[in-house]
Amino acid sequence: MTLATRPLTVTINGRTHGPLDVPEGLMMIDVLHEMLDLTGSHFGCGQGICHACVVIWDRDDHTSEEVPTCITGADFFDGKRIRTIEGIAQRNDTGEIVALSPVQQAFLDRFSFQCGYCTPGFVNAATVLLERLQRAPIARKDVETTVASALGDHICRCTGYVRYYQAVRDLILATPGLTRDGA
Amino acid sequence: MIPKVAGFSDKMMPASRRQGPSRRHVLRTGLAGAVAVYLAPLGSRAFAALFEEQLLTAPTWNGGKLKSRIDGIAKVTGEKVFARDIRARDMPHWPQRQAHALVLRLTRADRIYAGFDLSLLDGDLKPDRVVTATDLDREGLAFPDFYGEDILLPEGKTPAYLGQAAAILIYQDFARLRLAKYKLAFNDAVIRYGAVTGPLQRDPWGSSRFVRVGGKTPYQDDVFSTLKQGPVLPTFDRHQPVWPQPARDGDVGAQGMYYAKAIEDELAHASADWLVLTHDYATQSGDTAALEPDNANGWYDAAKQELHLVVPTQSPQEVAQGAASMLGKSRIGLKRLFLHPCFTVGYGSKDHCSMPYYGLVAALFGDGSPVRLANDRFEQFQTGLKRHAFSMRHTMAVERKTGLLQAFCAGITANGGGRANSSVAVTMVGATSAESVYYFPKIDVAATAIASRAIDCGSARGYGALETMTATELMVDEIAVALGLDPIAFRLRNVLKTGMKNGQGAVPHGTQRAETVLEKARAHALWTGRAARKQAYDAAHPGKYYGVGFACIQRRFGNGAEGSLAKIELAPDGRITLSHTGTEIGTGTSSGQAVACVRWLGRPADHLDMAVTEWPDLPVETSGDPHAMSQAEQDHLAMNPRWSPTYASASSASNSSYYFTHTTREAARIVFRHGVWPAALAIWKGGTVGGGPARSQVIRPDDAIWKDGYLTGPGLEPLALSRLAREAHARGLVVGAVVHGFNRWQWADAEFMIDGVPVHAPIDALAIRYGAGASAAKRALATTPNRYQVLDRRTVSLPPTQNNDAMVGYNTAVGTLAELAVDAATGKVALLTHHTILECGNMLVPDLVSSQIQGGAASGIGLALHEELPLYEDGPGDGTWNFNRYHLPRGDDVAVWAQTTEVLAPLSDTEPPKGMAEVVMIPIIPAILNGVAHAIGHRFRTLPVTPDQILEALG
Repeated sequence: MTLATRPLTVTINGRTHGPLDVPEGLMMIDVLHEMLDLTGSHFGCGQGICHACVVIWDRDDHTSEEVPTCITGADFFDGKRIRTIEGIAQRNDTGEIVALSPVQQAFLDRFSFQCGYCTPGFVNAATVLLERLQRAPIARKDVETTVASALGDHICRCTGYVRYYQAVRDLILATPGLTRDGA
Repeated sequence: MIPKVAGFSDKMMPASRRQGPSRRHVLRTGLAGAVAVYLAPLGSRAFAALFEEQLLTAPTWNGGKLKSRIDGIAKVTGEKVFARDIRARDMPHWPQRQAHALVLRLTRADRIYAGFDLSLLDGDLKPDRVVTATDLDREGLAFPDFYGEDILLPEGKTPAYLGQAAAILIYQDFARLRLAKYKLAFNDAVIRYGAVTGPLQRDPWGSSRFVRVGGKTPYQDDVFSTLKQGPVLPTFDRHQPVWPQPARDGDVGAQGMYYAKAIEDELAHASADWLVLTHDYATQSGDTAALEPDNANGWYDAAKQELHLVVPTQSPQEVAQGAASMLGKSRIGLKRLFLHPCFTVGYGSKDHCSMPYYGLVAALFGDGSPVRLANDRFEQFQTGLKRHAFSMRHTMAVERKTGLLQAFCAGITANGGGRANSSVAVTMVGATSAESVYYFPKIDVAATAIASRAIDCGSARGYGALETMTATELMVDEIAVALGLDPIAFRLRNVLKTGMKNGQGAVPHGTQRAETVLEKARAHALWTGRAARKQAYDAAHPGKYYGVGFACIQRRFGNGAEGSLAKIELAPDGRITLSHTGTEIGTGTSSGQAVACVRWLGRPADHLDMAVTEWPDLPVETSGDPHAMSQAEQDHLAMNPRWSPTYASASSASNSSYYFTHTTREAARIVFRHGVWPAALAIWKGGTVGGGPARSQVIRPDDAIWKDGYLTGPGLEPLALSRLAREAHARGLVVGAVVHGFNRWQWADAEFMIDGVPVHAPIDALAIRYGAGASAAKRALATTPNRYQVLDRRTVSLPPTQNNDAMVGYNTAVGTLAELAVDAATGKVALLTHHTILECGNMLVPDLVSSQIQGGAASGIGLALHEELPLYEDGPGDGTWNFNRYHLPRGDDVAVWAQTTEVLAPLSDTEPPKGMAEVVMIPIIPAILNGVAHAIGHRFRTLPVTPDQILEALG
């Protein structure tokens, strides 16, 4: 095979992979699925619309954002640090889950998902949101609109969104430091 | 495999397509034809034994409530749950290399297909293998009958539908496939076409008519009805249905048409005392848009002649049987088939869909490599089973003075696209559901499923009833307003009450609760205050118009020939294992079935295997068509104690909570009555020397209650299940049961002998397992692989075949109030809130029920306001459609914070759970359109209602 490739070095869930020879033209989701066996970021549309495939890009300035991997070329991530759904829960050295993240636990407790296909995207979106609020808390009265804004691009076909939104709202309200009291 | 559906009958197909009585298949457990079938669903303990995966966790049971769904941890942490997640590397016994396939599809259906030109795939992008119809023909590979002709279209034929498959291209590595797909996408130059022929012209997939003329009251004998006399069936001329000539003394068809004509004449010449309204309604072609696109991953081991297939499917039984049959008839040597069905999501699009067979074909040509076939979203739109587009002409007559409905006529056409799939069944269910919650003294509903070049359609959620009941609820609302009546009061005046006959002349089972739903809605603040709130809202928001709409429907759950198997095993330490044929499709079926064990065993199942199709401990045979067989045929077949009219149903038709729960509970009950209970008695009465404290007390099973995991009796020591299990095993009591159940609007029941005592149960097959302390004689009877004794039934009472025509059904009723505001500047409809009122018996897991209501409402909102697909050349068959053009509702569109639901209390503690996941999608659709009518005074009669249409209506 003589396809042109580009080297990719990327840190995923704290582990550095590469340099990998990634054929030019592959999206990051292709690399995650076919080269790194990280299939938890799900393919929904290939247009960056449904957001089932988003990973968390952790920037050097300590901010983070969701990036849809179905439309973002693998080369964009060269030298970057990302988190996928597989890295959100705490795991021990053998990979067993020892603790779910607060977002994951909230989704589980609140029956927030059904088929689970969109769930990794929602987990990542909510995780980014909570981390943002940690840095810049908001007024309690703005929590619902903030949640709707953070999750509003994510498509879910099963749940009608209610339990996802409620779980994130209630988690924010219950977590110290994410809202400005009395505002 | 004929689609299983309420009342579906082979007779309803055009004569040219009717299947004769010779079309039988006998399925023995694990063996289909000459091919042995093994099944290890992804996530099952069988699979886990190989790969040490565990996708289901033991349920946490908190004070009688399930803490979280049992597949939840796997799903929320991104574990490999879906077939789409699987590669060869996940299957240790497969070759550790993964090939990939794509399908070349035809985007024209009006000219001869003349081959393809792959010259643009040069160099590295040349496929490693190309499979065409010629290859399939050589190997004798053809679809199972259900799917019709041409897995791949041969050259020289006109495609039957847009997007039809022509070739499969296989690549031994992913990157080349990916880059090849980029080149091929949206590229019309690849396929060559010949002469223009026009689209294929074919007879409809099916057509039928249901006529009823009631007696003097809703309770008296009918003059004519489907139940009494039968449905009316047409012949076909130039691809149109031709109904029989009316004749009062003719055959069933002629009589039916006589009464149909009488109804038509009466309406045409109705006096001014009656209001007669006729309108045309239309609902859209839609995509279920399940987020997991169809896919398959398969490996053919030529040396051993074994095929392995990982698939998402709602109908694993059908795939197992179809794949084995297909390969058994081919020239490909096949000794064993290993099928791995996975958790998935479909809303009907993965029920009896053809993708598993394409995956199977791709695997056969993989040259020893496992081959993965996975649609992207463009391909999913191009090929996924669609929602039928319906056109309906409804006519209703109402007596002005009393407000009582007098007659309902409907002409219904559903566009079934290019393959039959479930079209006949969906159309028939749509026709027999169109009456919604009302009593009509006279009904004439004719329904036809046409064949066309549109993409084929399947059993999309709502199954035809969504479409026809939407039209009915729009019309009923309009009539009420025309009569100056409150729309809910008008509905109450005409609601079908318990004991009244439905449109087919049958009395639906059980208490009809639509009346209660209506009463609740009428009293709801959203309804009572709507006029005042409209005035206030419109005044406060210039340029916006407020409206409140309502609709109420009821829907049968189940398809009229429901079957399932369930096994309960109690380990000596008290842990409960449940195996079931039901499949998890995201609805939480697995969690619900785990919880269903609580009634008889005090707590949920600890281990669960879903989608099991291998049942070596209870051989059940089936043959024929349960929807179409004659009573004589059924009676004859039933003499075989192993025979049942159907084997196992797909997860579909909202069937898990009632039908699957039934077999789960019957298996648990057998273990309780013949294992746990006698163990309890032994402990309470015996135990120590001289007997236990209850030695002389009369203790009846009815006195025993499970409380917090302990079995309690009056004044007796509470006993933990673990202790009871230990005792049952030691004493050789029944510690395992496998049951098969069949329901054709009533349960089959049979008598078995257990320990010399006749036992009657609403099941038709049973095997039991004794604990280790059983006598040698008993152990000798346990001859199955897992040491079960198969008990031949001594007598059986199967539901009569007449029930196929009865459309009797078990109904679930639901109503929705929708509060909205129309923006006159943009035409957009903002849903302010909606309130759904549902009755569904005793809920297994309330959180799962409310989740379904919320999700169903969102899907309904999508159809009401957002989703639409063109049927033909500008539709998704050309491979260019995706979520940028097909708009799914987001959180902002569904009144996510404000919506509310209300589930009525069950009639009693023992009312079974009722299927509800389809019904809850329906009433919000007409409620929104009725709300728009209230808001702007214009009634829309087509779906979706778009901003452009509203702007036009507002002028």
